[in-house]
Amino acid sequence: MNKAPMEGAVKFGGVMTIALLLMCCFVIATHAAELNVPATVAAGSGLTIPSTGSGSATLYLVGPGTAIKRTVQRGQGIQLSAEELQNAGRYVVSLDGDSATFFVTAGPAQSIAFLARPSRVPADTPNVVSGTAFLFDQYQNLVLQPQPVKFELTVNGQTVSRSATTKNGVAFTKLDSSKKEGAAQFVASSGAASVRRVVQVVASDPCSLRMTATRDKNGILARTDPIHDCAGNPVPDGTIVTFTSTDAKGKSTVDARIKQGIAEAELPASNNATISVASGVVVGNEIQWRGGQ
Amino acid sequence: MKFGLRFAVAIAALGLLILASRPGVLVLAAASAPAIAINIDHAAPREVEETTQKALARDYATAWQAMTEALDQNRVDLLSSNFIGTANEKLSATIQQQTKAGLHQHITDQGHTVDAVFYSPEGSAIELHDTAHLQIDVMEGGKVIHSEDASVHYVALLTAAENSWKIRVLEAVPAF
Repeated sequence: MNKAPMEGAVKFGGVMTIALLLMCCFVIATHAAELNVPATVAAGSGLTIPSTGSGSATLYLVGPGTAIKRTVQRGQGIQLSAEELQNAGRYVVSLDGDSATFFVTAGPAQSIAFLARPSRVPADTPNVVSGTAFLFDQYQNLVLQPQPVKFELTVNGQTVSRSATTKNGVAFTKLDSSKKEGAAQFVASSGAASVRRVVQVVASDPCSLRMTATRDKNGILARTDPIHDCAGNPVPDGTIVTFTSTDAKGKSTVDARIKQGIAEAELPASNNATISVASGVVVGNEIQWRGGQ
Repeated sequence: MKFGLRFAVAIAALGLLILASRPGVLVLAAASAPAIAINIDHAAPREVEETTQKALARDYATAWQAMTEALDQNRVDLLSSNFIGTANEKLSATIQQQTKAGLHQHITDQGHTVDAVFYSPEGSAIELHDTAHLQIDVMEGGKVIHSEDASVHYVALLTAAENSWKIRVLEAVPAF
């Protein structure tokens, strides 16, 4: 069997393969050069893509909030408008089969999404108010570059302030509630952007609970002194106060609501009873009732 | 290798298409949600509870499935269960413009590697860094305009809704 023609064919095939590969590389390189896009573009700034050749071509642009097909002229700069590139994210641009990708990144912070929790907090409690701020540019893109954020909590003219820097577009803080009750203004600001929330600071649990007892026509009238929390804020009306009377007949319990700062309850008549008072976890004084003595 | 992968994906997609075209197999859609691996070790300032991690993986996978179907079929109605706020608005705008231009995107989702990087103190918002492995085809009718296999980095902001997590922000970024 003559090997020479076979070897020749193999050599020719190899040369042809290399030539084809080189041609492909050349074609790819020339086409890639045609779509010369930057890696990143700032949101809302527009872009001009240089193009070569002549005649018309079809441009496709697909990205967040965008999907465009239009005819463009080769040899001129291909304009992508600021409006077409508002949304941060990844874009694909294609021109007659050549395509490229690039990213649009957020612009300067213009607005804040502010989560303030909870809406109602007890006074004088550490780390009970939390604030989380997300920064967005004018096109509602999350601003991922670190930005300073100021948190301020003001109640009755007293302000507590904290500074933070965003990381991954978000900053947060935790603050103590004020000693005095009232509507606290909780503000997050960054540059010109500012958002306000209201956090209602209410009295905390009663600090001490003290009552007196007197004879009454139907039994024993137990009444508390004005009830305050440890910062001196009156505990809100409606808070439950429990009075208990224990004697030889058994135990009587009355749940009463604070009204105008005090709570009172009528307990069954007895000549020898122990009367106690409590609200939540706070226990008040105890009275040994000896028939009104 | 790449051809092999594409071939396998194509066969799998064809299989799903055949199954999906049969009546009574709508439930398969849930089973075909992408694989999501969520790492919660870097979440701060609040730790992510195990139940929250599971819910996040479930809801994020469902959202991606809904998004790929919506972008492929140009159906805005598929978004509302999983996307709210800005994310919903931007995806809806994409779909509306795709419809207008006669385009659609066929995305084969090959899985996500996700890091929870922020969990708000009160537990109502979470931020994820997601590296999504995707095969993306931009199509005009049946014609492929652009095709690529890509690992795309996404920043996702999710907020707690009544009984699920919903995506409020979903932005592709050059890097984390």
